Parts: sequence; structure tokens; C-alpha cells
Amino acid sequence: MIFKFERIEIVSRKEFEMIDITPKLDDLVSRSGVHEGIVLATTGHTSSSLLVTEGVECLERDIPEHLERIAPKNPPDGSYGWYHNRYLDFDGRLGYNAGDHLKSILGGIQCFFPIDQGQIVFGGRQRVYFVEYDGPLARTVFLQVIGQ
Amino acid sequence: MKGGIDFHVHPVLIREMIARYPELERAYREVFYCGNALQPLETLLLEMDLVGIDRAVVVPIDASTSRGATVYTNEQIAELCSMSDRLIGFASVDPHQASAADTLAKSVQELGLRGLKLHPGIQEFYADDRSVYPIYECANDLEIPILFHAGMSWEPRSRLKYGQPLRFEDVAADFPGLKIVLAHLAWPWVVEAVALALKYSNVYLDTSALFFDNPNDFLHYAMTQQVPLTVFERSLRHQIVFGSDNPRIEIKSMARAVRRLGFSDDCLELIFRSNAETLLGE
Repeated sequence: MIFKFERIEIVSRKEFEMIDITPKLDDLVSRSGVHEGIVLATTGHTSSSLLVTEGVECLERDIPEHLERIAPKNPPDGSYGWYHNRYLDFDGRLGYNAGDHLKSILGGIQCFFPIDQGQIVFGGRQRVYFVEYDGPLARTVFLQVIGQ
Repeated sequence: MKGGIDFHVHPVLIREMIARYPELERAYREVFYCGNALQPLETLLLEMDLVGIDRAVVVPIDASTSRGATVYTNEQIAELCSMSDRLIGFASVDPHQASAADTLAKSVQELGLRGLKLHPGIQEFYADDRSVYPIYECANDLEIPILFHAGMSWEPRSRLKYGQPLRFEDVAADFPGLKIVLAHLAWPWVVEAVALALKYSNVYLDTSALFFDNPNDFLHYAMTQQVPLTVFERSLRHQIVFGSDNPRIEIKSMARAVRRLGFSDDCLELIFRSNAETLLGE
């Protein structure tokens, strides 16, 4: 059995951004020597997601904008707002990204795919995206290949 | 808007500098008291780009006597500024050291730093203590501004008593040619800080105030309810500068909050660019 683990850094350049990381997964799998197994990807941040969708620019705009409508950064009217908008003593700053954390929950933080004959098995249009909700920031994604 | 200046950035999370000077990590965690992850300089510049901020004033804090540490030395600030022409370096000096004024003069004349940062709460001194007047005389002679932390402090060991605005009145009155900036609107004493700025034309206020809720709601409270927005727009438009206090507050969030307050376009131009240029002697 082979276990191969790597951290990769991704620098988002916008506040909301979808970054295609499929080549990073392909590269790790090809270097791992695994012919049959699985590859897992996990974002290390709670204001980002890993999503799988069709690799087209229009969806790269629609998806973050849709999630922002569902979970906006600014608190919704007519409520007490986001309770996360308070001083966080462990950070030495106020939390102003409750909506971004919620978007992360909605989008999910992980994905995994099977490996067959040394290659990741994707659907015809599937791409793996790191989704930034609070950029620009340097982010870390954990990759793990397990197989033989 | 193009050409904006953020007058108040603490570059404590810059990964390249921590790699060169690992001792900075303890200083920013324990003295400045910040828990966020390190970031490359690139992301600071990208965030500035998001909201039309071209340049940022980066400040150190010399707390050698009070905390046994410096959150960046003046030499390190100069080194950081050499990495990007978008950074404007300020100096800091330890007000408890007799050599403070000489250090300031050297930092400006030899390192090219363009202002002075003092944090009475962390450095544990009162701004109107006559023992620190030589520092002000030096800054006055050098024609550089002083950015004072004022108002509330988050750091656990930093006492609010050092940040009360009236402790800055003697400085403003005794050095009429010295431009001083009271950071954070000196919250919670915004009314007192505004009174100083109304009376003394050499007193400026920066916008980097966020102590509860979020940037939009907090600034709306401080700059429209504690003091009407019209006071800033009509009477103090030449004495307000944009400051974020990054990384305590994101530059993008603070810039958007200031722009949402309802200032005229002319006033926003002053707040985001012209007033800072005046302070910097440009």
C-alpha cells in the first residue's frame, strides 16, 4: 500500500475566486506510483471550499456569486446580524467573515476521486476547484493519495 | 478611486520578514497580540489593489523597555520597504531611552523613514510627559508626522489610560508645527478627539476604528452617531486620513466601510489620498 501526502499553496488574487487545481491532483497521482486507489483533497481553511463542477468561466462567476447571495458577508437585515462579528481574542481582531465561513460549509471542504490504471477517474466535464471566499490570501490544500 | 494611501498598517504577518527574522514572530504574537496566519507580501499588495489603495504606511513599535521587544526595528522596516515601492516606512523609538531623538533622526536621515509611530499603551508612557518632548522637537525639526495610537487598545497588557485624547493636547498646543495623527478616532473618546482636531489644525484623525460589530456598523456609529458625519465633512475634511490598522482590520473591509458613510466625492479624495500626502510632505 502506498500513502503519499502533500501540502500545496494556492494564492488567491481576488476576494471571490475559483481556482482550478485539477492539474495539481493529476501531478501528485502520476508521481505517487499508485495504479489503483483514491486521491483526496481537503482545504485547510474555513473560509474556502473545494468544489467539483464544469470547468467554464461562466460557472466560475456564478457559483461564488450565488453562495454570496445565500450567505452574504454583511449581516442580513432585520436580525441581530452575525454573532461572529465580535472580538476574537485568539486572533487579536474582530471576526468579519461569518458569511464566508457559511459559504465554506455550503460548498464543502473536501473531495475525492478514484484512481484507475494510474489516472484519476473524472466525469467528462468535472474539474476540481479551490474556491476562495475571503481573498486575496495564500492558502493551503492537503492532498493525499492512497492505493497500490 | 486610484492612488489611495492606507496610513496605518502593521506589517506583522509578512512571511518573508518572519523568515529572515524569526524573533519577530514572538514580538507580534506576544506584544502586538495577533493570531492570524502569516502571509506573503504579495497578498497585502493584492488586497490594496482590490480597493484602490496604491501605497501603505508600515509602522514598527519599539517596546524595548516596556516589553523587552520591538515589533520590527527601524532597520527591518527599511528593509521591508525595499521590497516594494508601494510601502512607506515609519520609524519607532523607545520613549524611555535618552537616545530616542537621536535614533529618530538617524532613522529618517539614513534609513529614509518618513514618520514616527508611537503607541503609548504598549510603550507605557503618557504623550504629554515632558521627558518625551525631545522626541517631538526632533520630529518637528525633521518635519515628519507622528502617528499616535489613541483610544482603546486590544493588547492585554496595554492600558487604556495612555490613550485618552486629552493627553495629546499639550503636544498639539506646544508643537503647532508638528502634525500628529490620533489613530482609531481615539475610540471610545471620539467626541474628545474631534474637539482636539477642531481646535488644533495640526491634529489629524485616522479611520482605523473597529471595536465591535463590523466595519460598516461600527464606523456608522462612530462617524454619524457619536459625531455627525457633517462635522467630519464640513469642519475636518482636511484632517481625516484613511487607515485600516491591518491586520486587525482588513484593508478591503475598512476602505469599503469608509466609502459607504456618505462623504462627498471631494471629501473621500481628501481622506483616501490628499490628506495623507500633506502629512507626508508630498
